[in-house]
Amino acid sequence: MINAVLVFNNNGQPRLTKFYTQLDTQTQQSLIAQIYRLVAQRPASACNFLPLPPLLSQGASSSASGPSDAPTQITYRTYATLSFIMISTSTESPLALIDLIQVFVEALDRMFENVCELDLIFGYETLHAVLGEMIVGGVVVETNIEKIIAAVRAQEGSLGKKKAVQAASTSLGRGALPGLGAWR
Amino acid sequence: MFEKSLYDLIKGLRGHKGGENEYIQSSLRECKAEIKTQDMDKKATALLKLIYLEMFGYDMSWASFHVLEVMSSAKYLQKRVGYLGAVQSFRPDTEVLMLATNLLKKDIVTSSIPNMSLPLITLPHVITPSLAMSLLPDILSRLSHSSPVVRKKTIVCLYRLALVYPEALKLAWPKIKDHLMDDQEDGSVTTAAINVVCELGWRRPHDFLPLAPRFFELLVDSGNNWMAIKIIKLFATLTPLEPRLTRKLLRPLTNIIQTTSAMSLLYECINGIIQGGILDGEDNLQERDEVATLCVGKLRGMIVMDSDPNLKYVALLALNRIVATHPTLVSMQQDVIMDCLDDADVSIRLQALELAVGMVSSDTLQPVVNRLLNQLQQASAPAAELVDTPQTSESPKVPTLWPNDYQIEVVHRILDLCSQNNYSEIVDFEWYVAVLVQLVGLLPPSESEDDWSHWKEQEAMPNLRMNTALRIGTEIRNVAVRVKGVRMEATRAAESLIFVDNRSTFFPSGSTIGDGVLGPIAWVVGEYAEYLLSPNRTLLSLIDISNASLPSTTLPLFLQAIPKVFVQVSQTSQPGDTWKSEMSLLLARVVEFLEGLAAHPDLDVQERAIEFLEVLRLAAESLTSDTQEVPFLLASVIPELFTGLELNPVATSAQSKVVLPDSLRLEEPFSHDLPGLFRNLDSPSPHESKSWETSEFYHLPELSSPNKQSRDLAPVDMQPHASYQNFTVAPVDSSTAVQRRMLERRERFKDDPFYIAPSGDSSGTSTPFHEALNTSNGEVLDIDSIPIVDLKLGDELSHVDFDRQRNRRPPVSKLVVAGDETFETSNSLADTSRPKGGDDHPTSKRSLLQVDSSSLGNLSLGNGPSPQISADEGDTEMARAMQQVEEVRLRMQRASERIQLEGTPAEGTLVKKKKKTKRHVASDRAVEDPTESAIGKKKKRKKKSQESEKPPGEN
Repeated sequence: MINAVLVFNNNGQPRLTKFYTQLDTQTQQSLIAQIYRLVAQRPASACNFLPLPPLLSQGASSSASGPSDAPTQITYRTYATLSFIMISTSTESPLALIDLIQVFVEALDRMFENVCELDLIFGYETLHAVLGEMIVGGVVVETNIEKIIAAVRAQEGSLGKKKAVQAASTSLGRGALPGLGAWR
Repeated sequence: MFEKSLYDLIKGLRGHKGGENEYIQSSLRECKAEIKTQDMDKKATALLKLIYLEMFGYDMSWASFHVLEVMSSAKYLQKRVGYLGAVQSFRPDTEVLMLATNLLKKDIVTSSIPNMSLPLITLPHVITPSLAMSLLPDILSRLSHSSPVVRKKTIVCLYRLALVYPEALKLAWPKIKDHLMDDQEDGSVTTAAINVVCELGWRRPHDFLPLAPRFFELLVDSGNNWMAIKIIKLFATLTPLEPRLTRKLLRPLTNIIQTTSAMSLLYECINGIIQGGILDGEDNLQERDEVATLCVGKLRGMIVMDSDPNLKYVALLALNRIVATHPTLVSMQQDVIMDCLDDADVSIRLQALELAVGMVSSDTLQPVVNRLLNQLQQASAPAAELVDTPQTSESPKVPTLWPNDYQIEVVHRILDLCSQNNYSEIVDFEWYVAVLVQLVGLLPPSESEDDWSHWKEQEAMPNLRMNTALRIGTEIRNVAVRVKGVRMEATRAAESLIFVDNRSTFFPSGSTIGDGVLGPIAWVVGEYAEYLLSPNRTLLSLIDISNASLPSTTLPLFLQAIPKVFVQVSQTSQPGDTWKSEMSLLLARVVEFLEGLAAHPDLDVQERAIEFLEVLRLAAESLTSDTQEVPFLLASVIPELFTGLELNPVATSAQSKVVLPDSLRLEEPFSHDLPGLFRNLDSPSPHESKSWETSEFYHLPELSSPNKQSRDLAPVDMQPHASYQNFTVAPVDSSTAVQRRMLERRERFKDDPFYIAPSGDSSGTSTPFHEALNTSNGEVLDIDSIPIVDLKLGDELSHVDFDRQRNRRPPVSKLVVAGDETFETSNSLADTSRPKGGDDHPTSKRSLLQVDSSSLGNLSLGNGPSPQISADEGDTEMARAMQQVEEVRLRMQRASERIQLEGTPAEGTLVKKKKKTKRHVASDRAVEDPTESAIGKKKKRKKKSQESEKPPGEN
């Protein structure tokens, strides 16, 4: 199963945190920091799999290849300024997870029309809604982009779109956003 | 008050660069006020802002009650914010959820699909056993909802319910199975069901075997790659249970491997074949080998053809799994794997490295190690050197600077490679010694101080991550001890490393590498001093003044080596006139070095230094005599100290195999009433009057001397201070009284094993303790009856332990490698009783993020009559739950009142910056209206008294 989905930008600022187990805020933050450090070290040409950070490798005694409850793989993918991370157990296929991240990003792209980091900041709720249509309780429920979009639209009516547009059209023009990365 | 939307908050954050924390704190204060208003819009907006800030680590656990309020909103979008708040902020200790049972029930059975989805996607995050029990019927009813969106979410939700409340699975599984078997079911729902089964599958594979035909059908016909991947994963756990499955699966899987264009599916097929053990069986060998060849071929293709690093990585991962069963097949792909060793990506390199360790044979060992050595050289060499060697077309990529930990990993792997199976793969030990010496020079300089060090602390694997330098030193020592044939080479290598003038090149100043390597090496040059090229120079290096600053773990080994080498020097040089003066001179220098260590803070060092110091001083003295011949002390006595039986390697487990004599009782307590004994001992006893004076002298430094005087001179009249009286009570007693009490006390402790009677009285007979032992054992302890196991240390080389060797051929090496000595006891008990470290409890420590599904393992599904919760049980459970809910509700209500009255910190706490916010809190309190806070306090006290009245069982 998928244990956590994280999105953060190039500066390590979280844009989405979703843990499918209950974890106290402090541990969440240090886990994000550790994973960010790992991601930041890697060149763009490197493969999309991360070694386990210290926080996770502690409990992972699974030297055996057999499945277990402990998360064993971290898949990440970077798009422009954002990194998408999925922490999962061995019951997920590593290559399929890369595709799943792709589906997630494509769905977001459809929702926001040319998604950029700013959309995700302002469309915070929609971001969660899209993820909620794809993964429930750590199990993938939908990989079909059309169905995901349809379900999110059904939730939001015209609202999701409007919000993003409003965000983009006010004083902070979408095109001219220097130092976007330093945003919180 | 100005009301901000989330949008305003984010915008404001941008406007307050640098002062973000203050801005956030003030926003949190606003949110705190807003969330308490009756206006639902305001409340929801405030909550949304809090959720946003929670993402950055600002605690919002205090708002859990308000989360519930927003969840109960009638407007969908507000409700969604509420549910999101629950997902993001509820922790296992959040109690308010019990209050929401009715709300959740209502939302689950609502008519609107989005509304219904909210609890379904939220429950997996917050579910508790009692909640699961009360909501189960409602959730089950959603399985038959008309919309596939609801059905698929319900299936997953039920899975998470079952994790905390396994009984749920008994009721849910038959229905989920129906959906799975239904051909007309929506594809998404089937996929979701398969995903859930895949999670459950490895826990309880037996339950899903009957469904294999359906899985098979879905795999072949569905055409959905996502689902196919999961089904293959599932089959990998089923095939070990049902060998017939493999035969059925082989064809479709090969078919997919040959035809599919989806790399993920291809990879999972290969992986499934490997993990499902399809390659392992005995029958049908030819077909299996074909499949294996096909798989390895495809994997090779993934590595070679595509430049995609992901495929490379997973292919290596898969090869790593095959290598155990098909080493020959994998080693045929050596060329590509070796290329991966030079890949630009560290993850790929590490995988290739692991694979190399798995498949290396004596033929390939040297090229592989040389290649790795090259890599290390490049990493440590400055860029200028790379220009000189442009012809290395194998690695056209610009070598980047590898992190130190990668280099260390490579060193470890090289050592693993070479030392595996007791050096069975090494043909040329001289080469190996040379490699080891090279490695010392190639170690990354600042192992201890780089920023990975704090990671290592957390990695609690001291054995594996043993200091690299120490490991290399130990390897040199191992080779010197085990392989007699290259002992000379090993010793000379050690010698070259120990020379002071060489040290600066091997160990750059300021690094700690030397500390680890030098210890074992010093032992080698000492123990095998007869092989030294230049004992004299070695000795001078050993006693170099710079050695005095070595760590106290290394120094004892140096100290031990010094006399050994000195003996060698004295024996090799020609006796004569000059010999004597040379030796005296040398001895003087050695003595000087040792004198420097005689006051070393480490006791071990100090002890050894002083011991040898004395011996060598004697030797120096003996040289001063006028006789021409070599003094006996130097010629025979000191050399005798170090010669004798040769040291052989002994297995670390040997000690545990020594059979304990039956009469030795390590577990039995000396006395069963220890506390009682100590209690008696604690009471002050006049017996100690003997030592009274001394103890008084030490413990009452100021008072004792006048006190003593007063007692001695004039016990009655001259007692100037009243306080002295206390101290002089005992002395005032007459000596007969003392005597009497002493006797009393002796009587009391006669049988006390902890009390040893004064020797004067018991006239030299055995102590009570001894007697007690004798009587309890029934006879006098017969020391001769303890069996002595013959260690056979004198034997030449003991057997070489090839047990762990896989299907390898015997070592080609001409040289004999001594294996660890151990006992060949037929007693297998000795083996099993040996503690295996942490391996026994692999799951003792739960990993972070782990969802525990172990409770599902002992549940039996299916066959029997589908068990219903008996009405009685359900009712009582329900009643109890309702009671709990009511209690929590009361407590929450009180808590919220308290918050209002007392004015708890208006701002939230940033979890990662606890201290800072605490200060804020304090200052805020200070400016509060004093009267209000007084009221608050009063109310609080009232609350407290109320709380204390509550029944104790509540918590």
